[in-house]
Amino acid sequence: MRVKLLRQDFLGGLAIIAVAAAAYWLARHLPAGAAGGMGPGTLPKGLAMLLGVLGAVLLVNSFRASEGAPRWSIRGPLFVLGALVVFGLAVRPLGLAVAGPLAIAAAAFSSSEVRWRETLLFGLAMTAFCVGLFKFALGLPIPLAPWLLGY
Amino acid sequence: MELLANLALGFTTALSPTNLLLAFVGCLVGTLVGVLPGVGPIATIAMLMPLTLKVDPTGALIMLAGIYYGAQYGGSTTAILVNMPGEVTAVVTAIDGHEMAKQGRAGTALGVAALGSFFAGTVATLVIAAIGAPLTRLALLFGPAEYFGLMVFGLGLAVVLARGSVLKAVIMVVLGLLLATVGTDLETGQDRLTLGIAELSDGVDFAVLAMGVFGIAEILRNLENPESRNVAIAQIGRLLPSREELRRCFAPVLRATGIGSVLGILPGNGAVLGPFASYALEKKLAKDPSRFGRGAIEGVAGPESANNAGAQTSFIPLLTLGIPPNAVMALMVGAMTIHGLIPGPQVMTKHPSLFWGMIASMWIGNLLLLIINLPLIGLWVRLLKVPYRLMFTTILLFCAIGIYSINNNPYDVYFTAFFGLAGYVFIKLGLEPAPMLLGFVLGKLMEEKLRQALALSEGSFMTFVERPVAATLLALAAAVMLVAVLPAVSRSRQKAFQE
Amino acid sequence: MKRILSLFVLSLLASAAVAQPYPSRPVTIIVPFAAGGPTDIIARISGEYFSKALGQQFVVENVAGAGGTTGITRGAQSKPDGYTLMMGHMGTHGAAPALYANLKYDPAKDFTPIGLVAGTPILIVARKDFPAANLKEFIAKVKDPAAKVKQAHAGVGSVSYTTCTLLTSQLGAKSIVAAYRGTGPALNDLVGGQVDYMCDQIVNLVEQVRGGSIRAYAIATPERSPALPDVPTTKEAGLPQYQVSAWNALFAPKGLPNDVHQKLAETLSKALDDAATRKRLLDLGSVIPDQAGRSPQALQKLVESEVARWNPILKAAQ
Repeated sequence: MRVKLLRQDFLGGLAIIAVAAAAYWLARHLPAGAAGGMGPGTLPKGLAMLLGVLGAVLLVNSFRASEGAPRWSIRGPLFVLGALVVFGLAVRPLGLAVAGPLAIAAAAFSSSEVRWRETLLFGLAMTAFCVGLFKFALGLPIPLAPWLLGY
Repeated sequence: MELLANLALGFTTALSPTNLLLAFVGCLVGTLVGVLPGVGPIATIAMLMPLTLKVDPTGALIMLAGIYYGAQYGGSTTAILVNMPGEVTAVVTAIDGHEMAKQGRAGTALGVAALGSFFAGTVATLVIAAIGAPLTRLALLFGPAEYFGLMVFGLGLAVVLARGSVLKAVIMVVLGLLLATVGTDLETGQDRLTLGIAELSDGVDFAVLAMGVFGIAEILRNLENPESRNVAIAQIGRLLPSREELRRCFAPVLRATGIGSVLGILPGNGAVLGPFASYALEKKLAKDPSRFGRGAIEGVAGPESANNAGAQTSFIPLLTLGIPPNAVMALMVGAMTIHGLIPGPQVMTKHPSLFWGMIASMWIGNLLLLIINLPLIGLWVRLLKVPYRLMFTTILLFCAIGIYSINNNPYDVYFTAFFGLAGYVFIKLGLEPAPMLLGFVLGKLMEEKLRQALALSEGSFMTFVERPVAATLLALAAAVMLVAVLPAVSRSRQKAFQE
Repeated sequence: MKRILSLFVLSLLASAAVAQPYPSRPVTIIVPFAAGGPTDIIARISGEYFSKALGQQFVVENVAGAGGTTGITRGAQSKPDGYTLMMGHMGTHGAAPALYANLKYDPAKDFTPIGLVAGTPILIVARKDFPAANLKEFIAKVKDPAAKVKQAHAGVGSVSYTTCTLLTSQLGAKSIVAAYRGTGPALNDLVGGQVDYMCDQIVNLVEQVRGGSIRAYAIATPERSPALPDVPTTKEAGLPQYQVSAWNALFAPKGLPNDVHQKLAETLSKALDDAATRKRLLDLGSVIPDQAGRSPQALQKLVESEVARWNPILKAAQ
């Protein structure tokens, strides 16, 4: 019985209602319906309410018909998204030359298919290519290695 | 025949060896940079603009225009190959285009996109040449109220975009609308839904949202399901569309060209709606609509043609009025200004060789794009054979660099990661991202136009009824939404009866 | 042993004395707006001169957001070694404290002012069929509540917003205000006649005025602009108190070493005397500061007076 509850649309409806509630709460101070008809809060609050209602409908409908519960993986998302975060954190202080390989290394953890040596070599080659392309050919103002070169 | 004389002047200018070379370089560089995942047309043009500073104004503009089309087409290429639309207009292409790529038909998809774009570009160029100036005057009649009507109409189309349940599509559209409100309020300057993060005070960036929800989520999905990945890539298959497929695409391309051309003229980024409108139209007209979303070739041909037609005609307000209709054109204005050529209503009369040269080079640019890209298709498709475990790290790196370079802000990369997570969750919950993206784009425009319309009418909603064009569009919008929702409602009622 | 030590110390001192002259690598100029806008163009034009004169690339980095404050915040927090500069303007270093409650910098205290680069005069423009033949009639209409005059601006925090707010506050008038997302859409509706008037930088409007798609009533500087010689100044047309220009200036984070500061200030002044640079700036309609207005001290005074000027006006409007 409990397993049947957590079906896809049930979770979906729940998630949507949560988002709607969060949005409404964030917009709570904004005046809605000021002089002239609309204020900054009209649309956020109105849409949040509409979203909540629709989410509830989805939730209720899930009891009638829905796909089964989805299976989630942690490893993939964790390391892929982590790689992006690592890049963002590293790019300004450490530069592209470091952030690139770091990000690739972090991403490499996300899949069991990855073979380390080839990935790291490939990663270094790709970073070098990116440096050549973005920094030198295109002149992008992306930091290269501030700790080493100053820019 | 003044038109012929003008076109002759234009072609003489555009076909000069320097300008031809510049157009070629622009198209090539634009395509190559636009193909990089994470790098859309705006980023590409901003990056490459300094290169054009060394050339004379006409040449610089021709090169910039080449970069623009190249970047657009490159963005479509990434949309098809790796599900990373770099620009609003490529989102629709990604829906069926990427499905086709997964079925081993990437070459066909790319080919039909190139051919459709070329056809649309040719027609659009003729339209600009012949009736560009008078059309602008018509377009000026479009005020905020009319725009609002158009946007609402567009929203109705959003529902048609979805593969699955209408309820879920509507949910995603509303979610997109809600996301569009994040940022500083236009009228009062208050922060809305920004969680106190300063980097959100300008709202969510479209490229960040699209990369995350489409591209990153796609990577995550592929990592989970190695079996369902590009299985048919083993045999490259045909690189170009078959005659049968071309025949099927002819009418959609024609319709799409019309839609895209008309919408592109509307100053204020009306071109955005083109691909969505074309997709919705083709889906409704198709004998078997369920093919859409699973690799229907019309779902690539139509939107791509509308896309390109709109991109061309969006030069019209720039060249005839001097007012850029969207961010890309604003960059062009900047480029022109740096060269000392400030765009305005007199460009056509004061600098005829520039004006007509640009128009002629638009067509030449389209031709060059075709010539450059058709051979490249083979290269891209072969690239897909690189083992995914190596590819995905590269795609990720390019994406990170591309997103960072939009505004030199690491927060954009963090947000992309966040939206990647959101996209992954959406996939698991069976919610489709495309309607959300359309809702997002339309939402920003819609609210702006609604509040402007209300401000100008001092709060009176009657303005939407009193102005004929606005009223018509709103009525059409209502009709579209009914048509979209009714079949779903009656279907579920039928199911209820059956149970 | 002693000899080795003293040689060692001497060589250290020598290497310190022969330090790398500034600039020894590319310099970044942060422009806090999107590429292609007036400030960006001015930064690129002046950056080109700097690159040529000082032998190192002066690269523009666009960091747009929050009315320009995102880019300036980043610049203010960077190392004061002369390799990161910023192009600030009337909005970021004048109006910002009044508009943004959580501003992370103080325009008067957190920067080393290098010098004014160029100012773009403000024009008062209206749709081409607006029923007023000159500024006086225009003012009368704006002040008349029954006329329901409509104003457009490019968003709270933009130049068109701050300058038009100044205008209406000086006139004691209230217009119907419509906010747009950027100058393009606002100008578009002005040309289309959906709104009545706007105040914006000459760069954005000059070709429209010349082409006749909008009409200009006055320019808010002491002298007429060579780019639009037929447009009277506000002084001539009857509103002398409306003097405003969107000035653009070069800044560095506070704590810049004196010699670097000197070099930059001098090069800037030379740039503004260079014929080619002057021509490109003047073609845009911008105003180049005279010798007296170019010094870092003059800029500092300007920043302080602008912050003081905008504070009451913008706070009242909110």
